[in-house]
Amino acid sequence: MAERADVTTQFLAMASPCIVIVDTPDSALGAQAGEIAKSEALRVEAKFSRYRPSVVTSINEHAGRDVEVDAETADLIDYTVLCHQLSQGRFDITSGALRRAWKFDRTGALPSESQVLEALKCVGWGRVTWSRPVIRIAAGMEIDFGGVGKEYAVDRALTQIRQHTQVPVLVNLGGDLRVSGPRADGSAWRVAIEDVDRHGVSAGLLELVSGALATSGDAHRHLVSGGVRYGHVLDPMTGWPIADAPRSVTVHADTCSEAGLLAKLAILRGAGAEEFLAAEKIRAWCVR
Amino acid sequence: MKSNCTRYSANRRPEPAGRMRKRGELRAVLALIAGIAMLCGAGCSTLGAKPWEHDLMAEQSMQINPYPLESASDDHIYFSKEASSGGRSFAGGGCGCN
Amino acid sequence: MQLKRALAAAAAGLLAGGHASGQSAQDDTSTNVDSAVLYYKESERVRAIEPELNVSYKIDEDRKVNFGVVADSLTGATPIGAVPSSQPQTYVRPLRVVPLGTPMTVTTASGGSTVVLIPPATGATTQVIGASTLVPANTLPLDHGFKDTRIAGHLGWEQSLTETVKLAGGAAYSHEHDYRSVSANLGLTKDFNAHNTTLNGAVNYESDSSFPLGGTPTPFTQMSADWKGSNVSKHEVDAVIGVTQVMTRRWLATLSYSYGDSHGYHIDPYRIVSVVDPATGQPTAQLYEDRPDSRRKQSVFLDNKINVAGSVVSLSLRGYKDDWGIKSFTADARYRWQFGEDYYIEPHARYYRQGAADFFRYFLVDGQALPQYASSDTRLGRFHAQTYGMKFGMRIDRGSEFNIRIEHYSQHGNGSPAEAIGQLRQQDLFPDLKAFTVLVGYTYAF
Repeated sequence: MAERADVTTQFLAMASPCIVIVDTPDSALGAQAGEIAKSEALRVEAKFSRYRPSVVTSINEHAGRDVEVDAETADLIDYTVLCHQLSQGRFDITSGALRRAWKFDRTGALPSESQVLEALKCVGWGRVTWSRPVIRIAAGMEIDFGGVGKEYAVDRALTQIRQHTQVPVLVNLGGDLRVSGPRADGSAWRVAIEDVDRHGVSAGLLELVSGALATSGDAHRHLVSGGVRYGHVLDPMTGWPIADAPRSVTVHADTCSEAGLLAKLAILRGAGAEEFLAAEKIRAWCVR
Repeated sequence: MKSNCTRYSANRRPEPAGRMRKRGELRAVLALIAGIAMLCGAGCSTLGAKPWEHDLMAEQSMQINPYPLESASDDHIYFSKEASSGGRSFAGGGCGCN
Repeated sequence: MQLKRALAAAAAGLLAGGHASGQSAQDDTSTNVDSAVLYYKESERVRAIEPELNVSYKIDEDRKVNFGVVADSLTGATPIGAVPSSQPQTYVRPLRVVPLGTPMTVTTASGGSTVVLIPPATGATTQVIGASTLVPANTLPLDHGFKDTRIAGHLGWEQSLTETVKLAGGAAYSHEHDYRSVSANLGLTKDFNAHNTTLNGAVNYESDSSFPLGGTPTPFTQMSADWKGSNVSKHEVDAVIGVTQVMTRRWLATLSYSYGDSHGYHIDPYRIVSVVDPATGQPTAQLYEDRPDSRRKQSVFLDNKINVAGSVVSLSLRGYKDDWGIKSFTADARYRWQFGEDYYIEPHARYYRQGAADFFRYFLVDGQALPQYASSDTRLGRFHAQTYGMKFGMRIDRGSEFNIRIEHYSQHGNGSPAEAIGQLRQQDLFPDLKAFTVLVGYTYAF
């Protein structure tokens, strides 16, 4: 296959390597498209950041009080509420508080039962009052859009590029990616799937002509203790990692947000992940 | 002044039969509107679409007044040829033609 | 598959949300230039050309400002309110005032009228030049040489106070050679139920000044070429409240109630009412009309927009009533038939009917007591009207469009009322009005 004249833009966002590939001989246009995607990704990251002053930190700092949010945040909250319902409560943007018990650091230490129960007191969407556009989380709770933010950023970045140009484009933010359509010559984009155990090693090649890919799994954050692997996807009902969850689930769907959510819903099913994906006729790959 | 008008209406010509039909129409419009208003009042919070279902509403063709110059132009024509005015919005300045 | 479908719809909707910076086509652009030219032609009567321009600029997410101008150039003939007669008639109207002794030759003014010098009153230092028009037999008396150019401008601004509350305000000014109007408006909208319900309220205040050519005549006095009284004015306050509701994903409805109250000069200073002989029906005098000095009006308006497989059906109804005794009903239907992303055609039909004002008179009868008010303006009479039209639109780019609309309007009233006397029975006292319009529009967004 001949070398194609792609214009690529690479940057760091959401603590992940990101790349935007534009299939065009026009380097100025390619660079512009790359810049658009980069600024949109950085904008979404900044707006929903858990660390820097943002909408999310504002809500978390005002726990116990009413906070009025803007339209984009309200839309995102409404979306996560639907996801919470569809997953029968397993997907929950307040589950971040469990991080207080589960550190997933190099010490490899597991939390105690009481530590988990303590953290669990501050978890549960049922304790949140959401009446658009006002949200009130109970004192001690926190919300985070980590479960939907990256995929949302991919979709927004692509939409922004599309407002500007129709040339074929691939936006990849740390492994969650979406294409505008096939390449200029009608052929598919080639995407390498990373090996779950070996960082930076390709485990296979996927050909993509449309839609998005999102992966959920424990490849980079997990604990091994007493020979048992504890993934980082925690069950907000029990406070413990989902039992028998696949190591990783990669889903293909029309939009990255949809793919990301389906991947997380599959992981949250634990042992029943493959069954869930088959029943819903979702194009996905599980690695155990 | 209102008092002049009410005094005047006592001297009015007898109503032609056709007027009854017009009144009936006006009543029909008001009844339809009252019905919808009640429906709205009773269940406005249940009516509607989820936020993600507002995609069609964002289209220009679904706006209440998608072509303001066209409707301003129409309002002006009808204002100068007919006795009624108003309904959709205010005219942007009178023209002395009615 | 249920969950996947629900999620797909949810994700699609989230991304279509359009609230974040630059989502939809309109939001992406900050400036919108809207222009149109209207060509209006009544058969054998008035003709108008009206170019209009509106520019709106989005300062930021919360604020928008707009300004616009309209020029209205009207020429042609318009009825003066007199009845036709089986014998020729003459009427005069003043044109301008000149100093006494100004040399003048009799010329023919536009529209077949003759310019004449009116004999001055004794002791006067000025003289009036008037136009005398001869109306042939069995012809509706028209005022030819009717020419007027109006220029109007407006300024508006809109501001979001919170995510659900928006404030808007504006002012407008309109000027033509014998009329001037100034108005200001203020409105508030609030969204409820996750933007499914919007409540709105607005008020408008308008102040008009009339300085008719020839001065303001005394009502019910004989039509003459004398230079008459001074300027007059009118003030009006209007208020509207409404609710717009997203009924389903495909259906948007809006319901509103308007109330208006005006005080001042409502008379048409150029119109007369014929006084006819009780036996023959021949006109014996022409009296300037009279209308009440206040008017209170109310209307209820319902509009629906329904998306049917990508095309949009618009259906609206309006009921109107005022304290002049006029009641009207309007029904309007459009079907925007979308062809792909870029083209559409839109057939349109409108039906309108109104009842006469209490003081509407085709004519007055010599010898009978004068009513308190009287006007023979057919615009205040009983009639029904239909509009049929077709519009064609072409999208050029995001937010930019070219369109052209052709319509036909016809108005039909009772030309042979029961009260017609003598020769009036042979005349058409309410000729049909037929007009043809072409509207060409171009919107450019960037």
